[in-house]
Amino acid sequence: MSDFTGTLVVLLLLITALYILVNRDWRWAIAALGLQYVWAFLLVLSSWPVELAIVKLVTGWIAASVLGLTRVNLPQTPPASGNVPSGVAFRLLAAGLVVLLVLGAAPRLADWSRAFGIYPAWGGLLLIGIGLLQIALRAGFFRSALGLLTLFAGFEILYAAVEASTLVTGLLAAVNLGIALVGSYLLAAPTLEAEE
Amino acid sequence: MSSAFLWMALPIMVGAALLLYRRKDDTPLYLALGFSGILTWIAWQFPIDVVLQMGSVSFEISPTLVLLGRNFTLGETQRLLLTFMYAAQTFWLLGAFITRPGRLFPGLSLIVVGLFMAALSVQPFLYAALLLAAAVLVWVPLLVPAGQQPGRGVQRAIVFNLFAVPFILFTGWLLTGVEATPGNFSLVLRAGLLLALGFSFLLAVFPFHTWMPMLAQETHPYVIGFLMFFLPAVSSLFLLSLIERYVWLRENPAVFQLLMAAGSLGVLLGGLWASQQRQLGRMLAFASMLATGGLLQAIGLGDATGLHTFFALLLPQAWVLWALAACFAVLARHTPSLQLDELGPALRQHPLLAFTSVAGLFGLAGLPLLGPFAAHLSIWSGIGQRSVPLLVLSLLGSLGLLAAGLRLLHAWLGAPAPQPRQPQTEPQARGDFANPYIWAFFIIWGVTLLGYGLLPSFLAPVQRLVLMFPQLLQ
Repeated sequence: MSDFTGTLVVLLLLITALYILVNRDWRWAIAALGLQYVWAFLLVLSSWPVELAIVKLVTGWIAASVLGLTRVNLPQTPPASGNVPSGVAFRLLAAGLVVLLVLGAAPRLADWSRAFGIYPAWGGLLLIGIGLLQIALRAGFFRSALGLLTLFAGFEILYAAVEASTLVTGLLAAVNLGIALVGSYLLAAPTLEAEE
Repeated sequence: MSSAFLWMALPIMVGAALLLYRRKDDTPLYLALGFSGILTWIAWQFPIDVVLQMGSVSFEISPTLVLLGRNFTLGETQRLLLTFMYAAQTFWLLGAFITRPGRLFPGLSLIVVGLFMAALSVQPFLYAALLLAAAVLVWVPLLVPAGQQPGRGVQRAIVFNLFAVPFILFTGWLLTGVEATPGNFSLVLRAGLLLALGFSFLLAVFPFHTWMPMLAQETHPYVIGFLMFFLPAVSSLFLLSLIERYVWLRENPAVFQLLMAAGSLGVLLGGLWASQQRQLGRMLAFASMLATGGLLQAIGLGDATGLHTFFALLLPQAWVLWALAACFAVLARHTPSLQLDELGPALRQHPLLAFTSVAGLFGLAGLPLLGPFAAHLSIWSGIGQRSVPLLVLSLLGSLGLLAAGLRLLHAWLGAPAPQPRQPQTEPQARGDFANPYIWAFFIIWGVTLLGYGLLPSFLAPVQRLVLMFPQLLQ
């Protein structure tokens, strides 16, 4: 991966992850999640062959679709607000801190491990950090599921550099789909018919 | 047929098939119970990797299943563990007849136990973290039944259990480096730190335990009890496998000191917090935290005695947690809330369940004559030889759980006697004394708990479980 392409992919990944973190419209968040998996796929490509890396892309798109299809069938509700600072500016500031941390940590991680390239290290750590912020700062199961999927996407970018087992790829795909399915179930559970 | 197929893949398939059953009767529960009983019997009776002759037919249960290039191995040394796990599952299914944890329970419990067995059999075994995470995700429809608003506890449970995955998987990668250069202190430190964080999330060690009381307050006691028994039990076996496998872990005294300190903290906080709870679900969660702390303490003893103690504690704890979850679940069906203040009439109406609950809490605390006492004594003795402050913390924790048991006893005996009522025809409304199932449960459970407490050698053959860890045993 050339420097230009690598930097571009990491920047695009940062933009989509930030967009998911700050936006209020779930439709655009799902679209951004789908795009985020494309950039993550490009970073995984630096470690894995296309036929294996495409599993991550397809899994991510299915997970995004499952969440989107569930959300579209639910009644519109006002955005949930928890007891955490939730303003866009605060989230951007927190994300800025994450970006600063990653800018410092990624080169050291790449140097130390010798397994990760610098771009997967940047991309992976950025997604992990912003995924954590999403889980911590956004209330509701939908946002938690988006945060977990973002976090796992980041982890998988890094892990792809050190492990290419088919079984682990399959299990990680199952966990990603599980997160999406459980997120969907929890969103829909109050509207489902009680069994007794 | 391979053992992994029989005890891992087949339960998952049968469990999935049972989920398709739509009628609201007990057929899936009977089927799951029968299936689980058969798997227990096969594990108990049939050796693995030995050709068996039955008339003209010969067959063999091979130990390994190859799936996507990796091995799932359940050998002869794990046969007793299989028997234990499926016997436990059979008892949890039996309890479902009186606790009614939901239509999905039989199917999902088979799937989850199959996933737990997969976690214990996969090679390299660090992949187990993914299978444990999958098991937690599969359990969610029971934690939040259809029609119910999910609370924050389930969200936190999912997040915390999934957090364990990256830590443990990355540890696997670092460990290969540690094995190649065991003198590299920085690498050992990083691997150790990742491992400690991963298992802290998995075992809900303080301060990552917060999901347990939150979830226990929101959900059916029997459903959360199942998770609170199986998840720490399988995770601690996974931890033992890890220590068994890596020399640098096995021969590092700091690892065992850390485990003992974490376990003692769990015992202390679990016991003290249990004593402060006014809601039975939360009390169960903190009692379970104390139980997990005890398992960590046993591993932390670090020698063959510690390993023997671990299994000597695991079995009676399983018995007690099952009974506690069952009692609390039945009580929950007869009272609007599990708050101690409002529980008096239900406890008065169900004295056998009330007695079992109190005895269960006392047993977990390590009261003499009850099942877990012998293992607790061994732990206290071992810890006392190593660190008196940790022994004091452990004893304080046990006292805390005893206090919780006394609070429950007070809520029971201090409640006004029930008013005489018109005779009722529904068996559930008549109380314990008229219910033969409750009587059978009470007698069998009580005799076993007391029997094991008085004669710990009663389950001596089970101590062969330690043979799964030959290196640690040395």
